[in-house]
Amino acid sequence: MFDFLIHGFGVALTPLNLGLAFLGALLGTLFGALPGIGPINGIAILMPLAYTLGLPAESALILLASVYTGSEYGGRMSSILLNVPGDAGAVMTTLDGHPLAKKGLAGPALGLSAVSSFVGATIAIIGLTLFAPLLAQVAIMFGPAEFFALMVFAFSSMAVMMGKDPIKTAIGAVLGVMVAMVGVDSGTGVLRYTFGMAELYDGIDFVVMIIGLFAISEILLMLEHANRQDVDDEMPPLGRVMISLKELAYCKWTMLRCGVIGFIVGVLPGTGASIGGAVSYTTEKRISDKDGSFGTGNMRGLAAPEAANNASAAGSFVPMLTLGIPGSGTTAVLLGALMLYNITPGPMLFSERPEVAGGLIASLYIGNIMLLALNLPLAGLFARVLTIPRWVLVPSIAILAFVGIFQLHSDLTAIYLMLIIGIFGYLLRKLGFSLAPIILGYVLGGLMENNLRRALAISGGDLGILWQSGISLGLWIAAAALLVLPWLLPKLWQARTSKA
Amino acid sequence: MKIAADRLLGFALIGLAAFAAIHAWQLQIPFSYEPVGPKAFPIVLSIILAALSLVLIFRPGENGHWPNKALLAKLLQVLGTLVVYAILFTKLGFIITTFFAALVLARLFGATWRRALIASFLMVLVSYFLFTQGLGISLPDGYWLSDYV
Repeated sequence: MFDFLIHGFGVALTPLNLGLAFLGALLGTLFGALPGIGPINGIAILMPLAYTLGLPAESALILLASVYTGSEYGGRMSSILLNVPGDAGAVMTTLDGHPLAKKGLAGPALGLSAVSSFVGATIAIIGLTLFAPLLAQVAIMFGPAEFFALMVFAFSSMAVMMGKDPIKTAIGAVLGVMVAMVGVDSGTGVLRYTFGMAELYDGIDFVVMIIGLFAISEILLMLEHANRQDVDDEMPPLGRVMISLKELAYCKWTMLRCGVIGFIVGVLPGTGASIGGAVSYTTEKRISDKDGSFGTGNMRGLAAPEAANNASAAGSFVPMLTLGIPGSGTTAVLLGALMLYNITPGPMLFSERPEVAGGLIASLYIGNIMLLALNLPLAGLFARVLTIPRWVLVPSIAILAFVGIFQLHSDLTAIYLMLIIGIFGYLLRKLGFSLAPIILGYVLGGLMENNLRRALAISGGDLGILWQSGISLGLWIAAAALLVLPWLLPKLWQARTSKA
Repeated sequence: MKIAADRLLGFALIGLAAFAAIHAWQLQIPFSYEPVGPKAFPIVLSIILAALSLVLIFRPGENGHWPNKALLAKLLQVLGTLVVYAILFTKLGFIITTFFAALVLARLFGATWRRALIASFLMVLVSYFLFTQGLGISLPDGYWLSDYV
């Protein structure tokens, strides 16, 4: 049953892939540390380069995935030292991380977060190894109707879990799906929403979409932060970047608990590291905050979100690899990267392309050890990345975006389109939208329509096929429950407590 | 003011939904082997989008801070720089356009002239050699200049 993993280690231990895993871990930590460049931006910028270098699919995926896991490590730097989360997954890290740094414990805080990240990620990778092949075996039974129901479930779980405003999350997802409609309809050859532009016949290109939506809009957003002065720019002294066994023992149950929570949240489709961090922090606060010291620099308050956000990052690979449904915005981007290689992840991935699935999982084990080894001794060096000024960062992002797109398309239209998408991305972010639902909608939209149409072609147009099987019916019920419960539960709770 | 932004967005999205639905409705389909065809999915999406937008109009959510005039001017300058960079990218070539784009961007993000000049010079140098020598990417030479070089 673990043949794929043995095969995978064979793939991951080749010098090229080891080197790429190391490079990805290093770059990922840097990207995570730089405020504004989270995992998605890092991957978006590197993706066209990896493609141009002619890397085989598994090597490209190893590079990009280790950027993802690396940036979950790097995100803590600015959270702890400057009180500015480097990416969405590190928001909860600021709550206790920054107070610790203010107490002069910046070094131990960084050390603890590296170890918690390692523990969380390890739990989740083991979970991934155990559950992914099992889930793939179940998923082999999925037909188009089940996949359609699964995507409905993914969208409803996202609407409930992601972001502050469920309506805007849903609108974002619908907009993403609509963007996916642009281009030639594969079923009939009809052109949809192309407005006579030949460049749009193949649809809006994935890399153009990602770089526009994330990198370009980020440049525009950074302009705002450059002129704002509410950020604590003074870097506290690091001190020793090591933690004592006593501190580790104090946090060990926290790390284990939150690693498991993070993994489960990560596996749920549509919910990524930011939610994993939030859920685990609130749970841990309820369990172990006896003296109300959470939020004032409690070591456990730091270990909880750090273990969880790395665990959910690894956990979100489970639905992506087995079902082809990304577990987070970042895995949605990775899914798109695989599609560039004409690989559609799904239940057959483990049997048909074991070098991709196994190689990725094996490289996650290796990358995780590399990251711990990099992050404990070199924390001081990475922290210095935070002092890179925006006037260096912004032109660099612009250059990488332009060259990346131009390299893929040799065409200025693609660059104009990237800029236009960037402006829309900026406006949507200003209007309180998060970008992850848009990307998930965009990646899943085409699959969703194809599965729906295939299912209805099988049934001859009878809608009943969509909920005929036990699996799909269960998914519909689960999706409905997810949408209804958040409204229902508090009311039931109130009714019960008022009776008592 | 904050509320107005979400309402405005709601109306704009309903307009978008109507446009998308009409476009899908008018698609000419030569023949189809399947019962659904390319029309239904976009039309259903448009209906969902319109319904969600109605909710947004009646219950507008929170918005971020909108840029003031000074920031808006800077935003437009950054966008203008990127657009000009794109227009001239192939015409004047990577080296020249990137140098000036990096210079202007660095200035807009608060660098002094001296720092901006040094930084953009170094960025062009490093990126040019990284892309061409390190990664084997061919960069545009600039066809306006090719007659003179």
